[in-house]
Amino acid sequence: MSPPSLPVQPPNGPNPDSRPPLKAQKEMTKAERRELQEKQRAAKAAAKTAGTSQPNQKPATKQPPVPIGSTGAPKKGGRPADPAPPRTPMLPAGRQPRDAKLVSTLAETGPMNARGLRIFSHFGLPKPVSLAKGDIHPVILRLALQFSDFKITGANARCIATLTAFKTVIQDYITPPNTTLSRHLMTHLSPQISHLVAARPMSVTMGNAIRQLKLEISGSDIDLPEQDAKNALCQKIDNYVRDRIMVADQVIEETAGSKIKDGDIILTYARSSVVEKVLLGAHSEGRRFSVIVVDSRPMLEGKRLLSVLTEADIQCSYLLLPALGSVITEVSMVLVGAHSIHSNGSVYSRAGTALVAMLAKQHSVPVVVCCETYKFSEGVQLDSFTKNELAPLGDKFASFPLTKPREALMLVNGPNLEILNPLYDLTPPTSISAVVTEVGVIPPNSISSIPLALGRLL
Amino acid sequence: MDFDESGSRLLTQEFIAVILAGFGNELTPLTYNHGEEPCPKALLPIANKPMLHYPLSWLEASGIRDVLLICPTAQKAAVTHYIRSDASTTAFPSLRIDLQVYGDTQDIKGETCAVLRNFAHKIKQDFVVLPCDFVPSPTFPLTRVLDKFRTEAPYDGSIATTCFHEWQKPEKGTSIEEWNSVPIPMPIVWDEPSGTLLHIDTPDDIDRNDSSIELNMSLLSSYPKVRMSAGMLDTHVYVCRRSILDVLHEKSSFDSLREEFIPWLCKPQYSRSKRRKYGSSLSPSSNSPSQGLALQHATLHTRSMQPSLHISSTSSAGEPRTAPSSPIDSEDDIEDRASLRVGIVVHRTQDGYASRANTLYSYLELNRHFLAQTSWTLPSDAESRAMIDSKAQISTDSMVGHTTKVEERTSIKRSVVGKHCIIGKMVKIVGCVILDHCVISDGAKLDGCILGKNTKVGTKAELVRCVTQAGFEVDAGETFRNDKLEVADWTATQESSEDNEDSGESTDGE
Repeated sequence: MSPPSLPVQPPNGPNPDSRPPLKAQKEMTKAERRELQEKQRAAKAAAKTAGTSQPNQKPATKQPPVPIGSTGAPKKGGRPADPAPPRTPMLPAGRQPRDAKLVSTLAETGPMNARGLRIFSHFGLPKPVSLAKGDIHPVILRLALQFSDFKITGANARCIATLTAFKTVIQDYITPPNTTLSRHLMTHLSPQISHLVAARPMSVTMGNAIRQLKLEISGSDIDLPEQDAKNALCQKIDNYVRDRIMVADQVIEETAGSKIKDGDIILTYARSSVVEKVLLGAHSEGRRFSVIVVDSRPMLEGKRLLSVLTEADIQCSYLLLPALGSVITEVSMVLVGAHSIHSNGSVYSRAGTALVAMLAKQHSVPVVVCCETYKFSEGVQLDSFTKNELAPLGDKFASFPLTKPREALMLVNGPNLEILNPLYDLTPPTSISAVVTEVGVIPPNSISSIPLALGRLL
Repeated sequence: MDFDESGSRLLTQEFIAVILAGFGNELTPLTYNHGEEPCPKALLPIANKPMLHYPLSWLEASGIRDVLLICPTAQKAAVTHYIRSDASTTAFPSLRIDLQVYGDTQDIKGETCAVLRNFAHKIKQDFVVLPCDFVPSPTFPLTRVLDKFRTEAPYDGSIATTCFHEWQKPEKGTSIEEWNSVPIPMPIVWDEPSGTLLHIDTPDDIDRNDSSIELNMSLLSSYPKVRMSAGMLDTHVYVCRRSILDVLHEKSSFDSLREEFIPWLCKPQYSRSKRRKYGSSLSPSSNSPSQGLALQHATLHTRSMQPSLHISSTSSAGEPRTAPSSPIDSEDDIEDRASLRVGIVVHRTQDGYASRANTLYSYLELNRHFLAQTSWTLPSDAESRAMIDSKAQISTDSMVGHTTKVEERTSIKRSVVGKHCIIGKMVKIVGCVILDHCVISDGAKLDGCILGKNTKVGTKAELVRCVTQAGFEVDAGETFRNDKLEVADWTATQESSEDNEDSGESTDGE
């Protein structure tokens, strides 16, 4: 009996769609054939018990783990489904993720539950924040809940909230014996950061701030007594917030404000904290202009901006995104904010910004993006498809009016209906006229020429 | 060098749980003394597990580590024994229980406020108040209430979160008037979308005006669409900020948390006068940085979130705010507008049965509920099995405790029988709760009773819907219906006893 040959597999794991390579029937002995039959029967039985992951039975030939038989049975591989509510259909429909873990011995039988999302399935749906693993500081626990409940949204807000929480964590931190603050604090912070990321994917601003914080921690002086080192770190955090957010916002407010002339009609989309400051600042300087606020579902952030602006006595109009075409001809300037800006000059911002920018460009209206330099991301992003985030379903964006029943304001998943709300989109640099940063007004592509944006000191 | 210790020091405990184990005045005579020994309410078994087991395992699952357990002085030994026992250390390994005593006499009923005031120095962080008798449903984790508190307390300054569950009116015929009466829940008013508790109608309010419920106008202008229900019972689970204890000290006239203090706590959120008086103590500006600055930049947050007619005390009426406050704002500005809300989590019966076991009726109901969940099989250890006669008929919806002896032709239906009981021949037990160490002689008939510890029932006695105190002895052939049977004080038996409540036998300190 010739020894069985090793089936060749592609490096990323067995091809999920094809049948596993079966040896020719005649080559196998009767015993092996019977074993194969039993295995397939067992796999079928295992596939019936939805939701439980079965350890794969090793093939009789004692080869390195080949998931034979069981890749055929489940419709989709995926992480083992917890008996989670069907509202959160788990990961990839049909395609096995290129995850090294899944190629291991346990090929799990995927659950036969709700169909996965057909597109955007790789974003994953927001999962409810479960009980924290390990010791997470209560401030971080609360912050994660606020992120996942969409109570704190917006790139600036999230970054400031994270840094504020880290200040508390650092102050409560005690260096264990036999190690130093500069070496251990980062390992202490890592699980807290992972918990935050589990609640909601990290924003570019948070990432940049944390990278800067890591740099500061590793650079902190070993000889300093612990409390002094902690105070110094908190001071550095405060300085970061002050310099790169607050003061930057003030400079942007003045620069962009100077571009607003009396009688202008400014159009803005959704709500950006920087643009809000610009508009309020220009108004307090005495300029007379009016604002058109364009808004979109499901978050309806424009309504909040509207309430702030009208309270400040600024003339405002409010419309939803589809109505944009009818007002664009009257607009003198479009002011939008950004979540992040990339090396190739594309701006990653709230879903809908790209439409506004492109339509404005079409009608020769200048599009000005207000963005601090710390929002710069060194990657190149070409579309909003590879990286994005889906808004959670349900009543997260509790908005007024309080008198309408909740159900009228929400869509829910049905048996034939999947709700998809990507939160971000990408505006190509060709649609943007200028980017206002704290170091000046620059064209979008040249953000990478600013050393400060790259994190290097001048 | 203890490397493990540093791990626990690195983390400040977020909550401390305070479990109030009272005397159990509603559960008498079960909680009367057994001779000289007290029968603590907290250790009365539900489905053969002491009552304390349920809130403690609930806490264990939620991740809270520190527990402050407060019980009357008399019960300290028994409760300590339970906490140190194997059963509890295996069931909740990570809890650190600190047992404190309070009160000497039986008269501490309803003095939960005084208890909290007394132990306020031990509570340094946000705390959770739990009763010893709340049995949650397995689908209702404490983290749900905790998460609501965690999200709202920093976000808009809410001060507490309460939890209510639906009350099921007892069906006709199942509740017994001779036992203590089933309390009617107090009507509450709450706002559903935001989960805010607005008003609890206290017995005092009902005394003042029993035909209508009075609501404050500012309550209605803040929350135009509210719900009111008279079918919600307070679970007595309160997650509170530390600052509440300071206000508790100020309001020294309050005695009961549930009936007086919490209804009062709902008022500052809409009452301008109370907010002025107590606002600063309810939400003090602390040294730890709050998320005020982040919230100013948050896109979904506006400072005037509540559509209220509050005019902040800083700006004069009629003058609109022209510019936002400067970005580096003082913390006081945010605290001024702290909402001082009291949150509410409502647990519906359809999600699972949860109840407090503070009346005889609910105690019986809880036992029955657990019976419905389990099915009885012969015990696995040979010793217990040997004691149960093969001719005894024990229905599957019963529970029989460890090493209980059941003799032949006895039938046990829908009942919970405790440990180490001795049940004779031809006994019929239907729908009862029998605690440990009882002796039931041949031919007895028990229907819907609750027998305390060490009760002795004589031969051919009949007890229908009775509750006995621990150590009570029923003579042979006696019949009792709908009675609360208490053991007479041995001095009292010297006088002639006309009531047939006491069978005239005094216990001798067993």
